[in-house]
Amino acid sequence: MFISQLGRWGLQRFSAWLGASRLAARALVEATSPRFYANSATRSVVAKQIYFTAWQILPEFTLFAALLSWVLIEIVVNTARAFGLSDYALEMTVRVLVMELIPLLTAFFVALRSGAAINTEVALMHIHNELTALEHNGVDPMRFELIPRIIGSSVSVLALTAVSISVALMMAFVLVYGLQPGALADFAQVMARVFAPLTVLGLWLKVFLFGLAVAVIPISAGISVPKKLFFAPISVLQGMVRLFFFLMLVEVGSLALRYI
Amino acid sequence: VADNAARQAALATHADAAQISVDLPLRANLSVQENIAIGLQYHSALSAAAAHARAFQLLQRATLAECASLRDPDLSSEQRFAAKFLRALALAPSALVIDRPALLLPDVPYAHWLPAFLSVFPPLPPCYLVDYVWNQPLWDQT
Repeated sequence: MFISQLGRWGLQRFSAWLGASRLAARALVEATSPRFYANSATRSVVAKQIYFTAWQILPEFTLFAALLSWVLIEIVVNTARAFGLSDYALEMTVRVLVMELIPLLTAFFVALRSGAAINTEVALMHIHNELTALEHNGVDPMRFELIPRIIGSSVSVLALTAVSISVALMMAFVLVYGLQPGALADFAQVMARVFAPLTVLGLWLKVFLFGLAVAVIPISAGISVPKKLFFAPISVLQGMVRLFFFLMLVEVGSLALRYI
Repeated sequence: VADNAARQAALATHADAAQISVDLPLRANLSVQENIAIGLQYHSALSAAAAHARAFQLLQRATLAECASLRDPDLSSEQRFAAKFLRALALAPSALVIDRPALLLPDVPYAHWLPAFLSVFPPLPPCYLVDYVWNQPLWDQT
């Protein structure tokens, strides 16, 4: 009895992750093919998704990133000074804030703002048969509704992370060295030490995985829900929990690869 | 048709036809005009502007231009039916199937309303109505 329940539980989890992996693979293939953008309907949905998930929120998120960076850099710099470790303040700041905190917080922000909404919308579209209706009308719902959302969320996480990292680096320079153009050489030296080519590659691979996950996992949860309205909140709950664990798994995995 | 099994069988015999059914709703976050236009953009490879213009022409023909920007929850049952009908008609299907008109048009005497509505669109492809036998008296009156 217990073993069969455990087996069922395991199979359900496995099929959920398998479904998400398949969706991610199809999204990657479609999104990188020029044929995908040949249709005017798909193009306009992709543009709309990028506008809603990335552009619309850019000013507020940049302000938040600047505020967070300012507070954290001040804490690290002052603590380092108190312990006589001023020389390491900038490097510590960049390693913690730029490499780890900003990408993770950005992914969580997009997941909360867009991922949850996407999960709900896709679950309702699936339950109300809207995806089937599109298919009946000769419109591929994957190309028209789902993949544009994945592209929008990926672009959003990549763009918001890039902007936030730029803001954080500028603030780090100003707070550590003040407004001294002469310190740029020192700053560049520390940056070169931190941002080795492999480290940069790893950072953007992690950000890319975050971007893909914040839409793929909620969409996969939305389309696999039984067609009953009371399953919609359950689908969002499952999607968000899976997304949280995936983001943390990627983060912990990248930390382990770099430091252990 | 006599029952749901007979209805399913009737729909299966016209599987290639475009269906107008409560089971095939409009996309809730698109306007009526967009719902009609996306099929055109996909099938005829029309530009967005051309597809929207064609969709608007169809709405004007059905004297429904005023609901072009409305979304599904804001439509009356007649407007919703018309939107679904035009969405199907826009793709020039080989046949049309109107599935259970009593569910699609609950607030109008549909046996009178439907022929009047359809008469605006000559020439129509073959148009099949799938309705239950207990609604036969409604059709006998027309």
